[in-house]
Amino acid sequence: MNATKFAKGAIFPIAALIVWEAAMRIGNVQSDSLAAPSQIAAAFYQALIDGTIPRRTGETLRTALTGLALGGGAAVIVSVILGLVPAAARLMQFSIEVLRPVPAVALIPVAIMTLGFGYGMGIALVAFACFWPVLIYGHSAIVNIEPQLLDVSRVLRLGAFGRVTKIVLPAALPRYFVAFRLSAAVALIISVTVEIAANPLGIGHELMTASQSLHPDLMFAMLLWLGLVGWAVNAVLLFAQRRLFGPAAYSASLQ
Amino acid sequence: MDTNVAIAPRAAGDTAEPLIRFHNVSHSFGSRQIIDNVDFSVGRSEFVCLIGPSGCGKTTLLRMVGGLLTPSMGEVTYAGHRVDGPESDVAFMFQDYSKALLPWRTASGNVSLALEAARVPRAERAPRIEALLAKVGLSRHADHYPAQLSGGMQQRLQIARCLAQDPAVLLMDEPFGALDAMTRQALQDEMLRLIETSATTALFVTHDLEEALYLGDRVIALYPNPGRVAQIFDVKLPRPRNQLTSREDPEFLRLRREIFDFIREGET
Amino acid sequence: MSPVVRLLWFGGSVAVTALLVLLWQLIATYSGIPPVFLPGPDRAWNALVAGIGTGELTRLTWATVERMLYGWVLASMLGIALGALIGSSRRAREYIGPTLELVRPVPVSAFMPIVMAFLGLSGRMVLVVIAIGSIWPVLLATVHGVSNVEPRLLEVSRSLRFSRFQTLWKFALPNAQTDILAGMRLGLTVALVLAVIGEMLASEAGLGYHILTTARSYRSDQLFAGVILLGLIGLASNLVLQAIEWRVLRWRRR
Repeated sequence: MNATKFAKGAIFPIAALIVWEAAMRIGNVQSDSLAAPSQIAAAFYQALIDGTIPRRTGETLRTALTGLALGGGAAVIVSVILGLVPAAARLMQFSIEVLRPVPAVALIPVAIMTLGFGYGMGIALVAFACFWPVLIYGHSAIVNIEPQLLDVSRVLRLGAFGRVTKIVLPAALPRYFVAFRLSAAVALIISVTVEIAANPLGIGHELMTASQSLHPDLMFAMLLWLGLVGWAVNAVLLFAQRRLFGPAAYSASLQ
Repeated sequence: MDTNVAIAPRAAGDTAEPLIRFHNVSHSFGSRQIIDNVDFSVGRSEFVCLIGPSGCGKTTLLRMVGGLLTPSMGEVTYAGHRVDGPESDVAFMFQDYSKALLPWRTASGNVSLALEAARVPRAERAPRIEALLAKVGLSRHADHYPAQLSGGMQQRLQIARCLAQDPAVLLMDEPFGALDAMTRQALQDEMLRLIETSATTALFVTHDLEEALYLGDRVIALYPNPGRVAQIFDVKLPRPRNQLTSREDPEFLRLRREIFDFIREGET
Repeated sequence: MSPVVRLLWFGGSVAVTALLVLLWQLIATYSGIPPVFLPGPDRAWNALVAGIGTGELTRLTWATVERMLYGWVLASMLGIALGALIGSSRRAREYIGPTLELVRPVPVSAFMPIVMAFLGLSGRMVLVVIAIGSIWPVLLATVHGVSNVEPRLLEVSRSLRFSRFQTLWKFALPNAQTDILAGMRLGLTVALVLAVIGEMLASEAGLGYHILTTARSYRSDQLFAGVILLGLIGLASNLVLQAIEWRVLRWRRR
């Protein structure tokens, strides 16, 4: 049953690859923008063994993960404060609603100007982009904690710090994890986008160079690799989520 | 096949030409048998109630008449021909009214759905919708969405949609099971009134014995696992029925006792 | 909470924003950071007013908004049509669904170099990239919404003898409204991002290219004016879509 399901899903992409390959060969196409699947595979293999792919992937992931950690970390702190002090949440509401829709890519020129090219600007922009989803999700996670749990902390006479570390954060943890998982996709998108637009680093830059230097085989290989990385990041985090939180995170991801 | 002697006891309601007929119907899902050799018929303008514990396949039988399910053995006929899909003059009323209404359409829009299905021209729809909503007492809620209506009103709306089909047969699957007792009695009477004026044939599934006796001309009791006809009871109570007098009628009490004992025996 | 109290809180939160702007002004004026890197809100505001006064910023804003909207509308129409087609057929879902899942994790901006290789650095390229990028959220949402109709409603449809197309039109597509609108909202965000990046790369007139050139020539007051306008575009498009959702999805309110 599962095997047939898989086979049905595989027919379309495999058929597309075969048609693509055949068309390129029969038409004897020499193109600056299109390469046959076999050529793409060869370029992929080449980029893998000469270290291009590992190096570029490292650069991209370093930007994405550092930015996610910084932006998400800051968002956790802010969301806990806003969650526990409703007055603060109400007072910050307008500022958040005004700042949140600023597209991170609009800040690329600002980052170039102030930070110059390199990891710094990529990380800063990823952090900005990841800050908002974690803040919004985290805030709603804290606000939706069972009131009884907060009563418990009062009965136990926990201080503010104990309340946050012993009750609030553990209770909200599954939803924070979901927030980070969704933000990981954002982090990857923003880091690659910054690389494509400006920063001479990472998979995005390699993809861009391949496109501009008329190497369609390498270009498609990098696109394929990017898809795999995106898929793998999501799969790893989904797996971790299931192992760590089980059904709790599933219901959290629905909210 | 028609020369077969019916397995189930013959009942007085069977006329020479029944409207709905189950011919030795059996059904299984995979290896599990749900229905075993059911054979009975429903006459024109008759009100028949199917009653039995869960697992007796009463809903399955109803879905067969509605054309939503084809029996694995035997056949169901409607007006002399084999049922192999939903008929346009057979209306189906579901128990879970909250799921059976279109949440994005207003009460009018939900009634309109049945008229659209019958290809009633747009210009003729509005007056008919108005009349139908008035029949079920929802005129004031024409522009409300289902989420804004109470459970009883939602089920009235489903009745209106069924009536919009101008049905010869109304199939009802525990339609009042989820409602509170007061609303349920009110809806029972309204539904009876509407059906009696239009001489509609009704097949009604319930697990509530008193409801079956109160509504039906005949009550068909089913055994579970697999579902089969246990016995058919004629209900000779005068119409129109009345929530007080009908339920206190000696005949009502006698039948209630008889079927109750019967069901209890069946369980042991 | 009474409307008056709510209004007071809102006023308070606007006041906080004003304080933050004031803080920005104080830092810009007294911190010693050269205005080339951090222009105060006064300079940014002056640049904004001047740019609108000459009509240049207005023109660039419209260029970007137009690009974003064209690509997004195109993507939404295609996404809904394709999504309805795939979502309403179990066979199509079985055969094409996995391929969609395969493409989904690719960061959308990665399609830009590919399209560039075919169409070069042009306005057409930017439009195509916007359409390709913002079609995904709409397409996937439509497939999901169309294929997840309450089974009971499908029985109602069968019982009323609606055709396949009628079932799609009267049941599946309305059922997908919520998903489609959410997908379109996400698609619009993507469209704005890709419009900005596309303009930067293809040197097409618009706010994206504008902020890049002003940054390169260290006209940071004009740069900030451009960023503010982009933020406003994002804010406005969010508000408009929220209003549409509020109107279209009124049946979900009690």
